Amino acid sequence: MVRNILKVAFLVLALSAPIVGAQIPPDMPVLAARRVSPTFAITLWNPAGHVRLIAWDLDSLVIRGRVDASQKFMFGAGENGVKSAIEGRVVGAEPKPSELAVWVPRRSRVTVRTESADIEGVDVTGSFYTVSGAIRMSGSATSVEAESMKGNLDLNANVPWLRAKTGEGHLLLRGRPQDVDASTITGTLDIATATIMRGQFTSVSGDIHYAGAPPSGAILEFSNHGGGVDLLLPATASGVFALSSISGIIENSLPGVRPAAAPRAMRVTLGRGDASITVRTFKGAIRLRPQ
Amino acid sequence: MSSLKAHLSEEDRHRIADGTMDEERRAVIDAHLASCWNCKSDVAHLTKAVPSLRHVSEPTAPLDDLWTEIHERIEQGKIVSLGKEPPEATPAAAPQKKKFSWLWLAPIGVAAGVVIALFALPGKRGAEDRQASSMVADTGATLVSVVDSSYAYEREAQVLLDKLELQRALLRPEAAQALDRDLHVVDVAIAELKDAVARDPANPALRQLLAASYRQKVDLLKRASNAS
Repeated sequence: MVRNILKVAFLVLALSAPIVGAQIPPDMPVLAARRVSPTFAITLWNPAGHVRLIAWDLDSLVIRGRVDASQKFMFGAGENGVKSAIEGRVVGAEPKPSELAVWVPRRSRVTVRTESADIEGVDVTGSFYTVSGAIRMSGSATSVEAESMKGNLDLNANVPWLRAKTGEGHLLLRGRPQDVDASTITGTLDIATATIMRGQFTSVSGDIHYAGAPPSGAILEFSNHGGGVDLLLPATASGVFALSSISGIIENSLPGVRPAAAPRAMRVTLGRGDASITVRTFKGAIRLRPQ
Repeated sequence: MSSLKAHLSEEDRHRIADGTMDEERRAVIDAHLASCWNCKSDVAHLTKAVPSLRHVSEPTAPLDDLWTEIHERIEQGKIVSLGKEPPEATPAAAPQKKKFSWLWLAPIGVAAGVVIALFALPGKRGAEDRQASSMVADTGATLVSVVDSSYAYEREAQVLLDKLELQRALLRPEAAQALDRDLHVVDVAIAELKDAVARDPANPALRQLLAASYRQKVDLLKRASNAS
């Protein structure tokens, strides 16, 4: 119980927490600068350190950075695309951290891959992959795809299409996404936004928390094997909730809602039933709570 | 500019370097540059990069013309006509429509006949098939689709696992360990679900959970592939 209260408190804090790294990075030497087409594509590889991405209204690419002496900065540009990488001077050596700050046109498409480097972006559209680094995205974008093997993802973006996956990391969804596919293996998945119209949230053993009133017409699907699914709903929530668990418990503490008729399944209509929410678990608990 | 003590923003430096700064703001920026060696030096450096900045790649073809070219390329390798031209395409650029032929429907008709014959003929199927058939009748199309998706995910996972074995050497130890831990968690979940499905094969919720776990495995293996 205490654990759950702590999780709820975390969610509330998450809603109000600013994105710490969103400020313009400090001055760094210019590694590359180039006029590019507004819809160009850039692929970036930085194994360790930090990558900051900022979209702007200029049709220019600027890369600033501090690259460790054991690494070299590579840059190649074509008609509509740029590839850039930090690579070790000695093959197979453990990569040393390098800091990159990259300004790209707002309509460009960015692909970043890292091993342990954190990725941070503001108003950037694209795909972001890391093994153990954290990914933090904010602002507005056309689409965001963020994947980490074990790092944390904090996605606080106004984006029509969002795909986010991590293994052991904590996945936090904020902002104003609309179509979302989010999953973890063992990490906790927190959804602290009530703008998602189509959502698929999956975990194997991590807990899933959803806080907010699903918008009218939303279709949300939660699936968990061993982890729990907690839905924190305000009094204004309106939707049809179909909850089922093979061997987990279903707890309901919403006022005025009848307890589950069957121990492993529950169907609840709140308000006018404007949204459709389906929750399935194998052995994880399902909880309905007032927000 | 809010404060001359603060360094110029990246955009200000860039606009000074490429000459797109508006005059009103330019005066404020110049005043700052006169007193800030850091910003002045950086703008000078950016200005040196301006020749490359001035190189602009214009689209080789107007966007409106792109569909016509794409359509023509598709038509060259087509089996079935794409049908109506988009209204934007000019009559001159549009390829000629071919006469509609019913002949291409013949193989589909034959295939449909075979399928109907297989399912309609009584007494040819074993007890297992009858059980599966009644199960489908009981639980509807949802169960059929999730069973299909489970099989599809399982097959894809196996292909990815085979591929990963070849790529494993490229994974750093940290990534390999994380992958093995996650794979173990997913495989344990799949094993539990398979046991449960064996006991209760007509339960659509179990099938959906199994499909979801396989999908997790596929996604995990794709992430591992990206990591390598």
